[in-house]
Amino acid sequence: MITPVANAAEINQLMARYGVKFGIYKNGTFKEQLFPFDAVPRIIPKAEFEVLEKGLIQRVDALNRFLLDVYGDKNIIRDGVVPEDFVFLSSGYLPQCEGIAPPKGIYSHISGIDLVQAKDKSWYILEDNLRIPSGASYPLIARELSRIASPQVFATSRIRDNRNYGVLLKKTMDFVNCGGINVILTPGRYNAAYFEHSYLAERTDAVLAQAHELFVEQDVLYYRDYSGGKTRVGTLYRRIADEYLDPLNFLPESLIGIPNLLDAYRAGNVAILNAPGNGAADDKGIYYFVPKMIRYYLNEEPILQNAPTYLPFYEEDRSYVLEHLEELVVKDVAEAGGYGVVFGNALSERQLADLKQTILAEPRRFIAQEVIDFCDLPVIDEDGNEVMRKADLRAFVLTGEKTEVWASGLTRFSRNPESFVVNSSQGGGFKDTWVLSQ
Amino acid sequence: MGVISVITGSNLFWMGRYTERAFTTMKTLLSYYDEMLDADRNRYKDYLKSFGLFDTYGNMDHFLESFLFDPENPNSVRFSLDRAYDNGIVLRDEISTESLSFLQMAIDTLCGAKESCLSRRFSLLQLEDYIYAFWGCLDDRLYDSEEKNIVYCGKSTERLDLYFRLNYAKPEIEKEFHVLCARLREAPKNTPYRYNTQQLGSLVEIIGAEQEFDSLRMAAVRSLGRLFESETAKSFA
Repeated sequence: MITPVANAAEINQLMARYGVKFGIYKNGTFKEQLFPFDAVPRIIPKAEFEVLEKGLIQRVDALNRFLLDVYGDKNIIRDGVVPEDFVFLSSGYLPQCEGIAPPKGIYSHISGIDLVQAKDKSWYILEDNLRIPSGASYPLIARELSRIASPQVFATSRIRDNRNYGVLLKKTMDFVNCGGINVILTPGRYNAAYFEHSYLAERTDAVLAQAHELFVEQDVLYYRDYSGGKTRVGTLYRRIADEYLDPLNFLPESLIGIPNLLDAYRAGNVAILNAPGNGAADDKGIYYFVPKMIRYYLNEEPILQNAPTYLPFYEEDRSYVLEHLEELVVKDVAEAGGYGVVFGNALSERQLADLKQTILAEPRRFIAQEVIDFCDLPVIDEDGNEVMRKADLRAFVLTGEKTEVWASGLTRFSRNPESFVVNSSQGGGFKDTWVLSQ
Repeated sequence: MGVISVITGSNLFWMGRYTERAFTTMKTLLSYYDEMLDADRNRYKDYLKSFGLFDTYGNMDHFLESFLFDPENPNSVRFSLDRAYDNGIVLRDEISTESLSFLQMAIDTLCGAKESCLSRRFSLLQLEDYIYAFWGCLDDRLYDSEEKNIVYCGKSTERLDLYFRLNYAKPEIEKEFHVLCARLREAPKNTPYRYNTQQLGSLVEIIGAEQEFDSLRMAAVRSLGRLFESETAKSFA
């Protein structure tokens, strides 16, 4: 299949033109840089995507049911399927959200599910991101620009169009809207994902706002216009972490939140995408239990498998982890963005011994996984040579009237040949993800 | 009509002002440059005087280098373009990615011109094109007439400000003043962009003056600076 590689320079030129950037803080200084784009796409055959699609819908539906249950009746805990420690001690669990029913019962409207493909072509779920998963805007604009620079590729390949993400997102926002305008809440220009916030606002016709443009009055959220008037907000797609969302209900020192927002949400007057408290379901510790959730809530066998995972919390798993530490990858459940991930085979004897002690002291803090032999993807390096690099896939699943999988996704790759870490914050690049239509 | 917050209004106004400042500054600098080639090599000192600045540059090359390309010089084209972009980037959802891209390309062109071996005027022609294209694209893609009017109020205000300072001829100033008045007639009431009638009256008087017109230029600049100062604006600041 032909790809836009021959036009990579033109595509990257267009990326610069349209400001496809992300921000990073280094030594306390904010720097905005282009997100390195590789023109060789990840290609997913139609039949393979159909399996992924079913599995992802199943998984996200189960996770939504889990959140509804955890902040409601707690049957899954009562029935002993998930230990309460893994829910109530998770930093993502918010007691303030107990008993709140989100509009239409949906907690995770936009789910970013990270997967990797093993060399045998089987897919594994690496983690679920149910709070504020970012990244959809990059393949969205990359496709647009690739079609400008390399139209012949799209005339001859049978690729599903991914430019409907804005439509899907708007549909999701509209479905849960409690009456009023759709707003995307951004912490501001100096946020790492600001490009995405502004681009998605443009694509969905939502108003892009910062906290000081919004206020709550009598449990209703309003957008303040410049003539002193106010416009009711029905959906708030927030791109701010839970703890900063409302200084009167969460971190009091937050300057980027909206006072009393949680009260408006609790009163059912505004939908918040994604719902606050979703961290209770995407904690790395809770990941282990997702297949059990699927069986419990949906009475189905999981279509997609987790990477083989051990919980040192359980004595049996702990013994295995301590014995096989040098073969495993250990993850700190409280960390994200590729941080807190340690490969046992990269540690010295001393470091291994220290890690064992830490695991024994805080078993709940870690999970351990078998290292999956990733299927590497071709990448064009700076010298124009094709090299193989580790890559993952973030699939975007949107839940509104029904749960749908966006026929694309963000493929991130490591630019360092020795590294498994693909995060943009750590120097990774991205590719478009093509889903074939036939 | 969409909803416009105070901060959005402010970003629109200042995007208009800074884009115009970059444009008129560049055009004026290049006309000075042309004169300095073979007529008066010290002509740049008049430019500095218009802004109340001292000559710390020593010669026209250093002056031009700084006023075109130095991102730290608040009077440079680069500084103005950077600020236009800063205001534009937070308006992507209003002005569109396409409009914003012309500001990005203008900055890229200016940076490229600094290193270019081509003549200054030639290499900056494309910058002029991009700014014209920005205005064209904005006109096409910014659907809200109220928002559009705020941007153009900013543009007209800035242009008049520079024309007064840089001793542009009276007929040109009169023409721009009529454009601004037409914009002001469209400005909505009870917003920070409600204009101050007293300042507008002063401007009308200054522009109507025949003999003393040149001596009143800085008074006109001051009136322009206060044109949008209103109680409404203060209450939302």
